Amino acid sequence: MRWMLLGTVAVLALLASVVLGPAAVPLSELGRSDIVWNLRAPRAVLAFLVGGSLGVAGAGLQALVRNPLADPFLLGLSGGAGLGAVIALALHLTGPWVLPLAAFAGALAALGLVYRMGLVGGAALDPRILLLGGVAVGAFAAAITTAIVSLADAAELRNAFLWLWGGLSAASWDSVLLLVLYAPVPLAVLLAAARPLDLLALGEEPARYLGADVEAVKRRVYLAASLLTAAAVAVSGVIGFVGLVVPHIARLAWGHRHRSLLPAAFIGGGALLAIADTLARTVVAPRELPVGVVTALIGVPVFALLLRRWTIA
Amino acid sequence: MRRLLLWSLLLVACRPSGRPAAGPALTDAAGRTVPLAPPARRIVSLLPSFTEILFAIGAGDHLVGRTAWCDYPPAARAVPSVGDGMPPNVEAVAARKPDLVVLYHSGPNVTAAGQLARLGIPGVLLDLNRLEDLAPAARALGRLTGREAAAESLAAAMDSLAARPPPPPFTSIVFVVWDNPPIIIGRGSYLHQLAALAGARNVFDDVTVPSAQVSLETIAARNPEWVAVLSDSAAPPAFAARREWRAVRAVRDRRFLLLAGSLFGRPGPRSSQAVAELRARLEGRGVAPR
Repeated sequence: MRWMLLGTVAVLALLASVVLGPAAVPLSELGRSDIVWNLRAPRAVLAFLVGGSLGVAGAGLQALVRNPLADPFLLGLSGGAGLGAVIALALHLTGPWVLPLAAFAGALAALGLVYRMGLVGGAALDPRILLLGGVAVGAFAAAITTAIVSLADAAELRNAFLWLWGGLSAASWDSVLLLVLYAPVPLAVLLAAARPLDLLALGEEPARYLGADVEAVKRRVYLAASLLTAAAVAVSGVIGFVGLVVPHIARLAWGHRHRSLLPAAFIGGGALLAIADTLARTVVAPRELPVGVVTALIGVPVFALLLRRWTIA
Repeated sequence: MRRLLLWSLLLVACRPSGRPAAGPALTDAAGRTVPLAPPARRIVSLLPSFTEILFAIGAGDHLVGRTAWCDYPPAARAVPSVGDGMPPNVEAVAARKPDLVVLYHSGPNVTAAGQLARLGIPGVLLDLNRLEDLAPAARALGRLTGREAAAESLAAAMDSLAARPPPPPFTSIVFVVWDNPPIIIGRGSYLHQLAALAGARNVFDDVTVPSAQVSLETIAARNPEWVAVLSDSAAPPAFAARREWRAVRAVRDRRFLLLAGSLFGRPGPRSSQAVAELRARLEGRGVAPR
């Protein structure tokens, strides 16, 4: 029943984002329209894939660090991605894919740094250090970014921040294809870790007694979730709240079993971002809202309601 | 709370409530009073447009500081730079020992003008967003430098340009300021005025603000004949090679107008030249890129 409902919402969200848009395209010409086929459709699919990836990454990280506040962007990746993009602009690298690649490289560098900090004593991954290290690396990267932007005289650099919060404007079948080829591996790694993640919720010691290879699971989950997030930031910039809110909503309906929680977070995150992007494109047309504004406007009230339910219960 | 109140009362009491009317004075765009006499002889200009106006009215010799962006006329480059001016480096400005600082009227610059005032350096804040701001700015700078006659003839030319009825449009254009997310120029902007006077309809003339984020599909659906980009390079912008931008016909057909920022990006004494060059390029009478 709840799967049916979620599936229906997802299909409707995708349909809406293809049918609705600021440009008037008659329903009869939907299949033949260049705008629908080359702009709306890839954008809808990309929104779904990015939202889904962020939802799963958030669910995985929340289980890993056993902290309900964990968001895929909390672990320094947005800072690293922004630094990568600004360095590319400062070096005057040009090309259609320079910014996404540079942002991806920056996110990977931040990921590696945080991972290294989290490996206490070189072996065990400490989730608390991951959180603190992520915040520290993110702040450091942001400081370097701001220093470069304020010292360099290219006005273009100031636009790097626009790009970092860019949303899904750059969606094309190329970026969809990239994500379709890339995302299944980390998604599969996370899904395969569903059972150990359930055990990890009990605490590391109990999980170990129950037979989970805790260290390997922690490493795999952190790397897979971060790699998903790094790809998301490369194709769509930083989109907040999806990775934070969606796992919590999914947990309400599907409980704490990751075998169903993770797929639900994927479909739910995808549907949420597709809906948010449709709203971003249409409500103030011909102007457009940054999609992060819409995800926050939807996500925060939902989150507030959830918090109330928790505190009452 | 009471102490806070007391402090703010004290601050209000200490604030110079406009200079005592010792002589003729000018009220600037921020409502501040700037003394007119004696005429300014050591001027720091913190906007390329002001630098151009000062040179155009014959006060260029009195410039002792400019921004890193002030590149016209060529003589301006000989004036020491005080940085990019965004926001102004107050110490670098003060080090030029100016008797007048000309600032663009914006929030950070109001703060900077206040800081300069506390150092005893008069600053004047002027609006310069659209064509119709040029004549008042020229007149104000003429009065401040004692070059009223030259300023008046420049102002008259600027007034007539601003009042010129736009010709019937023969083509259409979109100004792309940034590609991801796409940010375009709306009716509130100087570039919109340039395009209109050159005979091009801005396809985003329903956007009343100077610039706004829009969806790529709106640009594609409005189908402008030209995509204009402020750029000092002769190469098409990087987004020209991106697949999603090829949904815009003008991008597919590579109908880009690459407009040099120095001439097209700022209102100034050369605005009528910018209109004429833009018209020539829209008509396909290409002006050789310099």
